[in-house]
Amino acid sequence: MKRVLTVLFAMGFIVATLAGVSAAAYVVAGLAEKYWFVGASRLSNILFLMLVFVMIIATLLTIAERKWSALMQDRVGPNRARINLPGIRNRSLAGLPHILTDVLKMLTKEDFIPGTANRFLFKLGPILAFAPVFALFAVVPAGPSVTVFGHHVDMVVATPDFGVLYLLAIASLAVYGTALAGWSSNNKFALLGGVRASSQMISYEVALGLSLVGLFMAFSSLQLPPLVGELGLDGAQGTGQAQYLWSSSFSFFGRELDFGLPAWGFILQPIGFIGFFVASFAETKRAPFDVPEGESEIIGYFVEYSGMKFGMFMISEFVEVVVLAGVTTALFFGGHHLPVGGEWLASQPLMQEHGWLYGTLLATVFWVKVVFLIWVQLVIRWTFPRFRYDQIQSLGWKILLPLGLANVFVTGALVLWDPSLRALAVVGMLEIGVLVVLTMTKKAEAAEGGAHGAHGAHGHDHGHDAHGLPSHASAASTH
Amino acid sequence: MAIKVTKVTQDPRTDIRERMYIPELLHGLAITTRHFFRNLFGTRDTNTQVQDRTGTSLMTTVEYPEEKPIYPEGYRGLHRLVPREDGKPRCVACYMCATICPAQCIYIEAGEYEETDADGESRVIEKYPTQFVIDELRCIVCGLCVDACPKDAIRMDTYMHTPSEYTRQNFVYDIPKLLKGPAVSHPSDPWNKREGSEEPHHTHKEAHTRIGEGLVQLKTPQLGAGHDHQGGHGKAVVAHGQTVVTQQGPIQVTKFLK
Repeated sequence: MKRVLTVLFAMGFIVATLAGVSAAAYVVAGLAEKYWFVGASRLSNILFLMLVFVMIIATLLTIAERKWSALMQDRVGPNRARINLPGIRNRSLAGLPHILTDVLKMLTKEDFIPGTANRFLFKLGPILAFAPVFALFAVVPAGPSVTVFGHHVDMVVATPDFGVLYLLAIASLAVYGTALAGWSSNNKFALLGGVRASSQMISYEVALGLSLVGLFMAFSSLQLPPLVGELGLDGAQGTGQAQYLWSSSFSFFGRELDFGLPAWGFILQPIGFIGFFVASFAETKRAPFDVPEGESEIIGYFVEYSGMKFGMFMISEFVEVVVLAGVTTALFFGGHHLPVGGEWLASQPLMQEHGWLYGTLLATVFWVKVVFLIWVQLVIRWTFPRFRYDQIQSLGWKILLPLGLANVFVTGALVLWDPSLRALAVVGMLEIGVLVVLTMTKKAEAAEGGAHGAHGAHGHDHGHDAHGLPSHASAASTH
Repeated sequence: MAIKVTKVTQDPRTDIRERMYIPELLHGLAITTRHFFRNLFGTRDTNTQVQDRTGTSLMTTVEYPEEKPIYPEGYRGLHRLVPREDGKPRCVACYMCATICPAQCIYIEAGEYEETDADGESRVIEKYPTQFVIDELRCIVCGLCVDACPKDAIRMDTYMHTPSEYTRQNFVYDIPKLLKGPAVSHPSDPWNKREGSEEPHHTHKEAHTRIGEGLVQLKTPQLGAGHDHQGGHGKAVVAHGQTVVTQQGPIQVTKFLK
């Protein structure tokens, strides 16, 4: 019981921290608009979204990955580092002090450069691997646009017209870092890793882009804020993922509480979601797509790196995890919107009066979704073994690419036929339903299968028996 | 009936669930998730035998310095020189253990009691060790010295292994380090047979006392209902039938008097 309460308290503490930092982000952005210049909130958003949220979550992920993987594998996980202060001297603090020791280790280790390496490119490698993934989060809206201290504040760094294309372009820049690191190390294993990384990332670029086309057609936009959508207030129709496909409402605390099926991306585009998630998983170069790293065969493109240069590669992987979770939330899980009751919440007088409070609530919703998706990614990473190299390529080119193309055509036809997206949602839910049914049911026995299947299975069994008997006989005779 | 020939190169996965990957992947994720939440919320019972863990968590790790597995009965641990009731070692410096030791890790120097020694207790025995040294790094923990000892003066019942040290010299244990644990006294001991002794020397015979038996209550953790004394033998018996004798914390070193 004590353990359950501790874990629940820790979860609540995480949510409260997310809410607290979100509130700080909104208030600071409002103050910047008020006392500095109009548009200064975008600068404070760089600070809060990229440095505070993404970097701190990525840093915490270094310990979370080890601790969570331990939980999944029935281990205890890192717990030996202690902070020598009264009261916490003998507590493992869930392994959190390991972050400090890791940073100390990374910073104080010898920074070794191989003698035959190309020194300039060798130093450029980690920078090029780290900077693009860091810049990715600029276009992801992490909260609603609200009015704070009488000024309009967006919880997003940049809203370029080319929105998602920026994501795809910058994400593919990261391959330069790995390829350069692999080549400039003058090490054959590193070169192998670099080549594997570049071929894998280039082949999944296509599937990554195609899996999102259906979503662009459904919401007629490339920018992330319109894809996330705005609530339909004052009788207006909601846009993007904030709209309801089917909705109803009833009176609740004096106002109309809306509920229904929101037009979230994964309902409209299940195939697109799976394709995007798989392809971007391949882009992060983490298991089960970690052949560029391949720690059991080649050490990977960063085999010659040490100290903080290696740390840059590692932290860029975790930043990619956070960014992928953020982008997936914004594209497929309704961004910062609640599944139901969003319009009811927005129409509360308290929320309309205090914009920062409303923004804090919804930004917390966004970050909770992000943390959940990060957890899903870690579960996937610690469940599946590494794909073989040819399996990676055939998955990318033979499965994801045709699937993405078919999805584009089907989505296009359905959107053309029914612009209210309901036909698309019906097809999407059918796809999800088939998947759920297939997952919940077990493989049918050969006797219960169709006539053809039974015949085939029977023949197979027969052949097996026929071969099995003589081999047993010969085995017995030799003894 | 025509036997249907299946091609060898054909994909062996005939079921749509396996060919679609995703349902099977979800099954795998479900297993991992179940483990995750069971270990996250489950409590782990500490400080018991690994086989008997009953916590809801699936972890079986023994976090060593804080939790120690209980060594089984008869575990040959670190040596100790058994003290007498008066704190001196029972050893009579007969060299039996040093002779039988296959690793030759025991070194003894014998001293002799004076005939005219005022200490009347010492007159019944002739020799005592002025030096008794065991090099624990050379010891192969075979237990032959315990078997060889005719006076029950060396035992390996400390139920602890040799602790780590910073220098090799610290592994060379001399009498102050070896002489520890509860004192042992047998009715057949010569100082119990002398004149005026309250113990009648004819009631017990030497053959009846074996190593491990005696009047000694070893320092044992009290482990609940299963604990009882069997005829005054100094063993704590756990409910599962395993005798558990552990020494928690530093062992009291009896001061060497001679």
